[in-house]
Amino acid sequence: MGKSFSKHIITLLLFGMASSPLWSQEPQAIIQPQQAQQSRAEDHASAQNQPLMPGESPRPTKYIAVEEQKEHLVFFQGFTLSADLFGPIAYLVSDYGTAEAALRLNLKNTFFPIVEMGVGKCKKEDFNTKVTYDVKAPYARVGFDLNMLKNKFQSNRLYLGARYGISNFKYDISGPAQTDPIWGGSESFNQEGIKCTSHWAELVFGVEVKIMKNFHMGWSVRYKTEIASTKSDYSKPHCIPGYGYTTNSTCWGGTYNLIFDLNWGMKRSHKRGVRITSGNIPAQNTPTKENKDIEEDKQESHDEGATGTGNEGADAESANDSGTAE
Amino acid sequence: MAGIVLLLASCYSNNCPLENTVLCNYSFYDAEGNAVNYGDTITVTTLMPGNKTEYVYRKLGNPVVIKYEKDAALVEQGYTETAREVRNDTILVNQLSKASSMKIPMSYFNKIDTLILSYKRITLKDTIKIEHSSYPHVEQPECGTYRFHTLENISATDAAIDHIEISNAQVNYEGNVNVKIYFNGSVED
Repeated sequence: MGKSFSKHIITLLLFGMASSPLWSQEPQAIIQPQQAQQSRAEDHASAQNQPLMPGESPRPTKYIAVEEQKEHLVFFQGFTLSADLFGPIAYLVSDYGTAEAALRLNLKNTFFPIVEMGVGKCKKEDFNTKVTYDVKAPYARVGFDLNMLKNKFQSNRLYLGARYGISNFKYDISGPAQTDPIWGGSESFNQEGIKCTSHWAELVFGVEVKIMKNFHMGWSVRYKTEIASTKSDYSKPHCIPGYGYTTNSTCWGGTYNLIFDLNWGMKRSHKRGVRITSGNIPAQNTPTKENKDIEEDKQESHDEGATGTGNEGADAESANDSGTAE
Repeated sequence: MAGIVLLLASCYSNNCPLENTVLCNYSFYDAEGNAVNYGDTITVTTLMPGNKTEYVYRKLGNPVVIKYEKDAALVEQGYTETAREVRNDTILVNQLSKASSMKIPMSYFNKIDTLILSYKRITLKDTIKIEHSSYPHVEQPECGTYRFHTLENISATDAAIDHIEISNAQVNYEGNVNVKIYFNGSVED
């Protein structure tokens, strides 16, 4: 596992998507259990009918992705919970940072409604002007991601998305006393608790890669534009929690996410993405881990008298692994 | 990730206003409302807090001499010396000629600013009184603090001024015309 983990990390951090399976132009050898069985039977028959010539090696079995698999994707694929690493690190090296978590719904491995909530903190004192800006407040974003990969079965994803963000906050701003250069007089400058509500929109581009069974890592780059903020006579907010600096009307942001699959309300076989029909499961399957799951589902189907509508899903990747291992 | 942080940080730039002081913008018009370049030379002074002693020297057949320190030589020449307390003042605009507008600072903490307009061609002076409120403003921390003003009322005498009005009450660094001064008659050279 350690070797695989290291490989994914290096792929994700150093080479990005270039060497990732996400970009692979070759079709992934994804196969369903019944197809694998059918192919095995055909290969076996073929091998029976055409005996190998002396010195000839057997042809490798080749399985081709089946487009019809899309039809078998279960609509509800579960939740993912993610935490952002970029925000806290940004706060360590700059004046602004966030602590953020997100809950994402997976619909057919394609459409991902998402809610992101966090706390943003910015404390900045300008070296030259000695003006201090201080804000710490929660924020929220809602939006969606779209998995842009053609193969929806693989665990890696490349997505585009959009967000609407909002933060209702109070900020403090203070600075040196203001002195009238002509008429004279001086007054301290310290404004506390200036109320502000900001709205913004984001366009998101990101990737995520499966590291372990239920654990993914990924990053996103975000282009943000401020929609509106409450006006104040004293100042405009220098930094909006969840948005960033308001120096320009647009800004860039990013996240580096640790993503955990949550199996709320799902059976193990459900999240695997392929319909399992009990009648198609051969009795002589080898007792692999996947086949044990299938047998369990088959037993449940018999018990509940179900026809398989709720028992959709089989891990294509797992099926793939078992298929290529033939 | 450090690269991304540096990349994002490298894109940071400030949009501080070009103007580093906030000035009230006065624009000149004739009595009919046409924008003009005022032909006379204008000097604007303002009254300051506090008083100062002014010494006035008079001699028959000679112009009046005003000094802010005693001058014994003039007394020896036969001038009579009179001391009086007057308000402190300072020159805000000196010898402005053939201009279509002028920018004048406003006080930070006074409720009313008093401007005295002296002309070269006429001996009379005009006094403009501006009632306003002021408040601090910060655009960005790196830009420092500014003092914005809101004009509330304005009035003027009628030596050379026909009437005066507030055009834009918000005095900030956006450069809008805040006050319109309508001079008597046609002042176009």
